[in-house]
Amino acid sequence: MSDDARGWRIALVPDTLINGADPASASLPDVLDALEVSGYGVLQLPPPGEHRLLLAVIADQVAEYAHHGYAVVAIGMHGEVGDGLHWRRLAPLLRHRGVALPPRHILRPDKDAAAERQRLAAFLTGYDLPPEEQRRWRV
Amino acid sequence: MEQHAPRKVALIANCLLNQNAKVCQGAHYRGVVSPVVEALRTRGYLLQQLPCPELAFAGVRRWWAVYEQYDTPAYRDHCRRLAQAIAPQIEEYLRRGDEVILIGLDGSPSTGVRFTSSQPEWGGRPNRPEDDWEIVPRRGIWIEELEAELARRGLPPLPATGWALDMGRFDEAGSRRDLEEFLDSRDSAAGSPDEDAAAP
Repeated sequence: MSDDARGWRIALVPDTLINGADPASASLPDVLDALEVSGYGVLQLPPPGEHRLLLAVIADQVAEYAHHGYAVVAIGMHGEVGDGLHWRRLAPLLRHRGVALPPRHILRPDKDAAAERQRLAAFLTGYDLPPEEQRRWRV
Repeated sequence: MEQHAPRKVALIANCLLNQNAKVCQGAHYRGVVSPVVEALRTRGYLLQQLPCPELAFAGVRRWWAVYEQYDTPAYRDHCRRLAQAIAPQIEEYLRRGDEVILIGLDGSPSTGVRFTSSQPEWGGRPNRPEDDWEIVPRRGIWIEELEAELARRGLPPLPATGWALDMGRFDEAGSRRDLEEFLDSRDSAAGSPDEDAAAP
C-alpha cells in the first residue's frame, strides 16, 4: 500500500467533542484538531439517546479495523453519561465481536485546558499497536 | 414548547473524517480530511459522520470496485440498514428546523453525489489496466439508498455535493474550490426555500 497515506490509527469520539462548544472559547482542547495533527481518523459516536442500530454499525466497523492491524482508541468526556461514548452499550457489542476494548482517554473540562491539551497529545502520540503487529499488517 | 435556533448541519462521508475507511491505495490523508473539516467548521456547520457502507460490507481489505459491482440486492439491503441506522438523527435535525446538507465523495461507487465510477465489464480476477473505468454523472449506491430512506420518511431532498477524491486524479485545490463555492452559494441563498439539491 505504498501510495497510500492512511495513518492506521482511529479514535472513537463523542458527538459533544466534535460539535460541542466553540473550540476557540471552550475550556477543552480542540479534539478534531489534535486528532488531525496526530494522524488519527475519527469514528463519531452519536449524542446521548437510544441509538441501538447505529452503535451496532459502529461496533462492526471497529471490529473490522481491530482485526486487521489498525490501532483504535476512545476519547471520552468526563461528566457525560458513559463519558459520551455509550460505553455500557458499546463495550458488550465490541466484546461480542471479539474486540479487546480500546484504551480510553478521558478529557476533564474542570482541569486546565492547556494541560489537558498536552495530556491528550501525549496519549495520541504514544499509542499504537506493538511493532510486530504493525509489520504483519501495514505493508 | 421550547424553541431552538436553527443550526447548520453537514452530513459527511465517513472517510472525510477517517481515511482509514478508504479502499487500499485510496487514502490521500492520514485520517481527517482537514480541508473539508476546515471549510465546514469555519462556516459554522456541525458535523455528522455517515457510516461507511463498503467497509462494513466488504471489509478493509476489499478490492477496488465500480458502481455495477456493488449494484446488487444484498449490497442495497446493507445500505438500507445503514440508512435506517442514521436516518433518525437526520430526521431529528430536519424536524427541529436545522439546515442539513450532504457532502459525499465524488467518483465513489457508493458515496458519489455528482459522479460515480462505472465499468460494466469489471469482474473476475482483479487485473484491470490503470484508469480502466468511466466517471459518470450519477449518485453512488449508498447515496441512492440514503436518499430513498429519507424520502420514505417524507423528508425533503438535501442539498448535496461531493469532495472529488475518487475521480481518477485527485485535485485538492479544485475540490476545495468546488466545495467552498457550494457552501458559499448556500449562505447567499439562505432564506430561499426553493434552493434544491445539486443535480447529479
